[in-house]
Amino acid sequence: MSTLQLIGGGFATVLTPTGIFLMLIGVAVGIVFGALPGLSATMAIALFLPVTYAMTSSNAMTLLMALFIGAISGGLISAILLHIPGTPSSVATCFDGHPLVKKGQAAKALGVGVVFSFLGTIFSTLLLMFIAPQIARVAINFGNFEFFSIAIFSLTMIATLSSGNMVKGIMAGVIGFMFSTVGTDAIEGTARFTFGLTSLKGGFDMLAVMVGLFAVGEIIAAAETSRHSDEEVTQPSMKGIKGFGFTMKEFVSQIWNAIRSALIGMGIGILPGIGGGTSNMMAYTVAKNSDKRADELGPLGTGRIDGVVASETANNATIGGAMVPLLTLGIPGDTTTAMLLGALTLHGLTPGPLLFQNQADVVYGIFAAMLIASVIMLFMEFFGLRVFVKLLSIPKYILLPCVFVLCTIGAYALKNNMSQVIACLIFGALGFAFKKLGIPSTPFILGFILGPLAEVNYRRGMIRTKGSFGPFLTSPISAIFLAIAVAVLVLYATKPLRAKRKAAK
Amino acid sequence: MSFKKCKDLILGIVMLLFSGFYLFYAQQIKTRPKLTPSYASAKIMPILLGVLLAVLSVVCIIQGMRQMKANKKEDNAKKMDKGDLMAVVFTFAVIIGYILIMPLLGFILSTVLYLFLQMLILAPAEKRNYALFAIVAVVFTAIVFVAFRVGLQQLLPRGVIESLLGF
Repeated sequence: MSTLQLIGGGFATVLTPTGIFLMLIGVAVGIVFGALPGLSATMAIALFLPVTYAMTSSNAMTLLMALFIGAISGGLISAILLHIPGTPSSVATCFDGHPLVKKGQAAKALGVGVVFSFLGTIFSTLLLMFIAPQIARVAINFGNFEFFSIAIFSLTMIATLSSGNMVKGIMAGVIGFMFSTVGTDAIEGTARFTFGLTSLKGGFDMLAVMVGLFAVGEIIAAAETSRHSDEEVTQPSMKGIKGFGFTMKEFVSQIWNAIRSALIGMGIGILPGIGGGTSNMMAYTVAKNSDKRADELGPLGTGRIDGVVASETANNATIGGAMVPLLTLGIPGDTTTAMLLGALTLHGLTPGPLLFQNQADVVYGIFAAMLIASVIMLFMEFFGLRVFVKLLSIPKYILLPCVFVLCTIGAYALKNNMSQVIACLIFGALGFAFKKLGIPSTPFILGFILGPLAEVNYRRGMIRTKGSFGPFLTSPISAIFLAIAVAVLVLYATKPLRAKRKAAK
Repeated sequence: MSFKKCKDLILGIVMLLFSGFYLFYAQQIKTRPKLTPSYASAKIMPILLGVLLAVLSVVCIIQGMRQMKANKKEDNAKKMDKGDLMAVVFTFAVIIGYILIMPLLGFILSTVLYLFLQMLILAPAEKRNYALFAIVAVVFTAIVFVAFRVGLQQLLPRGVIESLLGF
C-alpha cells in the first residue's frame, strides 16, 4: 500500500462518529488534567485506561492520543493565569505568560499559547509521519545485539538526565529493573523471586506499578501540602478581543522562533529520558539567548510573546518526537509514553518495527488522531477557555480523592479482583518513600519496562555467540549506542571534577 | 540529627540491605544448565543487578557521610508540621481501610465512605464543609458506578447496595 493510501486509511479509521466523540472527550479531559497543577498527562492516560479495555485498539489509541495532546497543551492555562505550571512541560510558559497577564494582555498570552501549541503538535506529527516509517524500515533488521544496546542506552540516558543526581538516578533504574525480574523467567521458565506465591508468578503488572507510583504516590504526597496551598484564579477579561488576541505582524515575527523551538522540542522528544519538562526550558533559553529585540522590547521574562511561543511550541512538538522511539522500537522515553506502551500491550499490540508491517492501520490511525485532536484542541481551548478556568478553582482536597477512586477501578479492572489494587497501594507507598528519599520515579518505571528488553536480548545474544560479548561491540549500530551510553556516564561522573578544576583556575 | 541531613546515609544503608536480600534470593534461583549455558542463565542478570545496587549504595553512603560533615554546623532543616504528618498517616489508613472493606461492603458504600473521610483529612480545618463533602461523595460515586458498571459493563466489588439495585 502506498503511504497516501495508508494516511487516508488512518483518517478513515479515526473519523467515525465514535472516534470523533472520543477525541472530543479526550482533548477536553486532557486540557483539564493539564491545567490542574498536580495532575498530568501520565495520570490522565492512566485513569482512562480502564475505559479503553472494552474498545477496539484504534478507538483506544485515538482517545489516549487526544488526552496526551490536550494535557500537554492545557498546562499553559494555569501557567499563564496562575503563574503555576499545570505540568512540568509548561514551566517556561510562566516566565513571560504571567508578566503579560499583569500588563493586562491575558487574552493575547493565552491566544499565542494556544495557537503555537497547535502549530507545534501539527509540525511534529507531520515530521513523525515522515521519519517513523523510515526508522521502522531500518529497525526491522535489528537483532538481539542492537536491541540490548538501545535498551541500555535509553536506560543510561534516563537515569542520568531525568534527575539531578546520577547515583540516585541509576539506583532508581536498577531497582526498577530488579522489580521486573520478579515472576517466571522468559527464557528458562523458572520462577524468580516469587517466594512461593502464585500471584507473583506473572510478575508485577506494568499498569499497576505505574498507577501506584504516580497516582497513588501523588495523592499521599498531596496530603502533606493540600491543607495549606490555596490559589486565587484571575478570570481573564475577554472584552474587545478579536481573533486570537494577536496581530498578523506579531505572528510573522514569531515564525523563526517557532520553527527553532519545534525542532528543539522534536529532538528532545526523540531522545529517551528527557521530555516536555526539558524541551520547554531549553527552547526558552535558546530564544532568550538569541533574542535580537531585547533593546527595543525589553528582555524575555518581562512579558514578551516570544517566551510563550518558544515554550508552548517546544512542549507540544515533544509529543511527536516521543512517539518516534515508542512506535518504531517499542522504547518509551518518559512516563507518558510508558503509559501508552502499556495501553498498546493491553490491546495486544507490540510497538516496534513489525507494527508498521502488520498493523499499519493502527499506526496511521494514531497519526490521524494526533492531527485531528490538535485541531480540536485549538478550537476547544479558544472557545471553552472560561469553562477550563472555572474548573481550575476546584480544590485539590475534593479532586484528589475522586482521582484515587478512578485509579482503584482501573487497577481492579486489570484482573477483576483486588490483587492489583493491593499492588497499586504497595507501589504507591514505595513512590512516597522514593519521594522522601530523593529517588526519582521516572528511571524506576523505565528500568521496570526496559529491563526485560535488555535482559532477554542480552541472554539470547549470548546464546547466539556462545558466550562471547564481542559481537555486541562489533555490530556497528549496537557499538554506537553503547559508546554514547558510556560517554554520557563518563561525562556526568566527571562533572564535579571538571567543575573543581575550573574553579581552581 | 534530623532526617533531612542524613537522608543519603539512610538511603544507602537501606539499599545495601535490600541488595543483600536480593542477592541472597538471586543465588537460589533454579537454573537449567542443560538447557541454557551459565552465561545466559536466569541468574545472571539478577546477580549483576544486585552487585550494581550494592556498589551504588556504597557510593551513596560515602556521599551521605561527606554531606553530613559538610553541613554539620548549620542545622536549619525544616521540621515537618505535625498536622501534615497526621494527614499522611490518616491518608494511608483510610486507603488501606478502603481496600479492606471494599470486598465486604461493595463498591458503592465503601467508596462513599472513603471519599467523605479522605476529603475531611485533606481539607484545611476552616474549609471543612460536611454537607458539601457528603454530596460530592454520593454524587461522584453514583456517576462512576453508572459509567463503569452500566455503561462499560465493568465488574465492581458487590455488596449490600449493589444486590438491592440488582447488579
